[in-house]
Amino acid sequence: MSPASRREFLRRAGAFSLLRAAAPLGLQLAGISAAAAASQPDDYRAIVCLFMYGANDGHNTVVPLDAEGYARYAAARTVITLPREDLLALPTAPAARPLGLHPALAPLQKLYQRGTAALLANVGPLVVPIKDAATFKNTTIARPPKLFSHNDQQAIWQSFSPEGAKIGWGGRIADLLAAQNGKHLFTAISAAGNAVFLASDKTIQYQISNSGAIGFNRLGATNIYGSAKGAEALRAQLSASQNDLFAQEYAAVVNRSMAAHGLVSSALAGLPETDPRIALPATLQQDKLAQQLRIVARMIGVRNDDNIQQHRQVFFVSLNGFDTHDHQLGKQAELLHSVAESVAYFQASMEALGVADKVTLFTASDFGRALLSNGDGSDHGWGNHHFIVGGAVRGGQVYGQFPDPGLNTGTDVGNGRLLPTTAVDQYAATLARWMGVRDGDLPQVLPNVTHFATSDLGFMGKA
Amino acid sequence: MPSRPLSLFFCLFFCLFLLLGCASAPLETYDASPTPAEASRFLQQATFGPTSGEIEALRHSNFPTWLKQQFASPQTLFLPEVEPEHARLAKGENLRQDLFFRLFWKNAATAPDQLRQRVAFALSEIFVISFEGQLDVKIRGAASYYDMLGRDAFGNFRTLIEDVSRHPMMGIYLSHLKNQKEDPARERVPDENYAREVMQLFTIGLYELNPDGTPRLRNGVPIETYDNNDITGLAKVFTGFSYGGPGTTDQHFNQQNKESNWDILPMKGYPKFHSTSEKRFLGVTIKPQTVADPEGDLKIALDRLFTHPNAGPFLGRQLIQRLVTSNPSPAYVARVTRAFNDNGAGVRGDMQAVIRAVLLDPEARNPAPQATGKLREPVLRLSQWMRAFNATSVSGEFRIQNTDNPGTSLGQSPLRSPSVFNYYRPGFMPPGTEIARRNLVAPEMQIVSESTVAGYANFMQSTIEAGVGRAEGGRRDVQADYSPQMALADTPERLVDQLDLLLTGQRLSANSRSRIMEAIAGIAIPQNNPQAAANARRNRVKLATLLVMVSPEYLVQK
Repeated sequence: MSPASRREFLRRAGAFSLLRAAAPLGLQLAGISAAAAASQPDDYRAIVCLFMYGANDGHNTVVPLDAEGYARYAAARTVITLPREDLLALPTAPAARPLGLHPALAPLQKLYQRGTAALLANVGPLVVPIKDAATFKNTTIARPPKLFSHNDQQAIWQSFSPEGAKIGWGGRIADLLAAQNGKHLFTAISAAGNAVFLASDKTIQYQISNSGAIGFNRLGATNIYGSAKGAEALRAQLSASQNDLFAQEYAAVVNRSMAAHGLVSSALAGLPETDPRIALPATLQQDKLAQQLRIVARMIGVRNDDNIQQHRQVFFVSLNGFDTHDHQLGKQAELLHSVAESVAYFQASMEALGVADKVTLFTASDFGRALLSNGDGSDHGWGNHHFIVGGAVRGGQVYGQFPDPGLNTGTDVGNGRLLPTTAVDQYAATLARWMGVRDGDLPQVLPNVTHFATSDLGFMGKA
Repeated sequence: MPSRPLSLFFCLFFCLFLLLGCASAPLETYDASPTPAEASRFLQQATFGPTSGEIEALRHSNFPTWLKQQFASPQTLFLPEVEPEHARLAKGENLRQDLFFRLFWKNAATAPDQLRQRVAFALSEIFVISFEGQLDVKIRGAASYYDMLGRDAFGNFRTLIEDVSRHPMMGIYLSHLKNQKEDPARERVPDENYAREVMQLFTIGLYELNPDGTPRLRNGVPIETYDNNDITGLAKVFTGFSYGGPGTTDQHFNQQNKESNWDILPMKGYPKFHSTSEKRFLGVTIKPQTVADPEGDLKIALDRLFTHPNAGPFLGRQLIQRLVTSNPSPAYVARVTRAFNDNGAGVRGDMQAVIRAVLLDPEARNPAPQATGKLREPVLRLSQWMRAFNATSVSGEFRIQNTDNPGTSLGQSPLRSPSVFNYYRPGFMPPGTEIARRNLVAPEMQIVSESTVAGYANFMQSTIEAGVGRAEGGRRDVQADYSPQMALADTPERLVDQLDLLLTGQRLSANSRSRIMEAIAGIAIPQNNPQAAANARRNRVKLATLLVMVSPEYLVQK
């Protein structure tokens, strides 16, 4: 990194702190107390959001295995029913309903059996608890806007507001905890492009490529096309401050990119893709999700590098294609296979790096899908089942309430669209608390969290 | 400098002028010949990029005449170029996406019907289908879809939404092809996918709009255009549609291989699979039917969407964003809506009238200094380079593969959006920026990141240096012709003037110009060696082009 860009980086870091100073008092106090806690060198925690874009069908992800439950499931699903004998049984408490996973989720079944993966049943966006489907249908009880709409529910899962949201809950957690980190820029990292989950007016999400930071070619060249002034002019043309609003914001990204490149590249050189602790198995070399998780694993692996210095981080990865209105059986199997294999790879790499109990991965998606088949697939729903994976997870258990199987139940708001019995706010709060966000600050992250009975669902916190 | 009373007079006159401008519709017809800079700016909005020849021609003509010529210009088609390749396929073989990309770039670079091609590309980002997913190898169908967008770009919006809804590529992409009526006995409901997206993304959007594109409010809250009951009602309309052609049997409904042209023929209704129960949506009720009427129901539904007051502002605002500016004023949107609602001859949905209104608006032609303009999307940056430097293809085929990779290429390819929501959303506000704080949008910024800014700059360095596309014998397939610029290279100022005109419409800042001139002056032109002198001139052009095309000044089109 050249002295000029280092100065620029420091200037920006300074500007960042000034913004923080203007933040509400609660934010500052949280920063200070948490900063004190983080003074131990290897105090580290990270959450990784794995977003399944298009809406993963939860009804075929976790299926009731008891005879009556399965029969009711199969009656509604018809042609998209998974054969009972193919389902992967989860260990369940004696009194609880036996459940099975989609056959493509074998690696996740193993993690669940080992106690490093938990299942959160029927979670979704809510403004207030809604007792049952009749209350939803027959009253004007508050509900999230734009239910069943992809882009809006993606935004609501990530930010509690429909499309157009500017602040996500991952970004807000990063705001609260960034003071613990040496380099604020790396507090919130997306390996999947722009994600409102990590958006904030304070913490800028750093969008990393699967292979690490990408540098600008020829900035250090002694000449370009024989012009000794070429490199200097190139840098200035790319990054000089601009009078125009859009141009200025573009230049800001360029400057951030230049500043981060030197830091990230030099740090990542210490943990190359070939390092056996994080190397992808042959079967996942071309897997888009696994490639994202590999760069996340590498960034976590170099968290203590002088150029990175992280104690609290929030990551985002994603996979597209879950909108299975048709050809569901084939498509979903392929996608869930990628999810399960990639998550198992990631968990193994966290164990190899010795941070398994410091990193928690969790899944999210636009919404669940309707139980009723449309002939070849399923339509948009609401509540959904999700997984939490990591060494600090109290795994091997189902959290929340697994819904009664079948149609016309107390949680069926139509065609087997599930009325959520647990709110995304509660899901998020449990993760935020584990990250070190104080109870008093939770409402800043999760505006509706106080409407619900508990902000700790209990799936985190294994010693 | 005018004396004080005189400038006061000008002020008053200007205020009066503004008042009149607000009251009476087209204030300015723009039938005067434009300056070269005005011509360049116009061509940046209306084509895949200005060429010196087009700027020169337009300078001696005017915008309305140019539009009239373009509206009359025959369409350069994709499908006829695909057919011979399709005919050659052996059983089980598929065409590759590369074929589509080649045709796309060839037409972007060289097709004479630039306005049509440019608007078709804009429409492909609104009425999105994508090779990502099940259309992976459906190249013939995609070519037909793209041609349809180009044809309807100059037709009527009602035709466009019908052709989009019936196209088998859209039928696959949004899964209404082979969508069957409800069957309570077998616990089956119609697929709701298309019913939702045709409203949300293609015709009316989520909230009731005023003609100027702002949301209508009730008690201070935006009014939703539809709820889930409208979707389940409309979903029944989109049942029973499947493969086109003469066949009407169940097999024709179910099987692609019954009709060899299934991928290019419009879908048609198969009454047996169409819902006959009552269909309610958007205030319309179609009574239960004794004989299923898919075609009649489709007409009712599309007429309802077409006549919805949102159609004009919803489409108009997005077309403005694709061609001119991310943040049109409400008055600008209202003027385009007016053209949509009535082309002057009582016709609603006339796309030529809409395009004319978008491009000949005062805000498009003479934007205020603080107007945001728009960020050029990566595909348009490369097309602009090709056109500015008269790029030709060694093979004649423009052998450019997908340009997806954000780290080494454009991070965007035509017709390869990750989802029906396009690469970016019309309402995207880049978080944590002054743009968002001012409540402005910058859609194209959704694909700007720390990775893509470097990826693009590196890709352009390589492209300007060595061309673009597959290399054969060490030479890349698409090559620029820098010779007109090389002729100016001995005088840095003239060279920069020309690039500034071609690439930005003379918007480079003084700082930028002097920086570029100084840098290229650093490349000495030897006096006694013609070969070395030519190389030096070429190097000056390449360096100057690079220094323009990576700068944020260039990247924002205003």
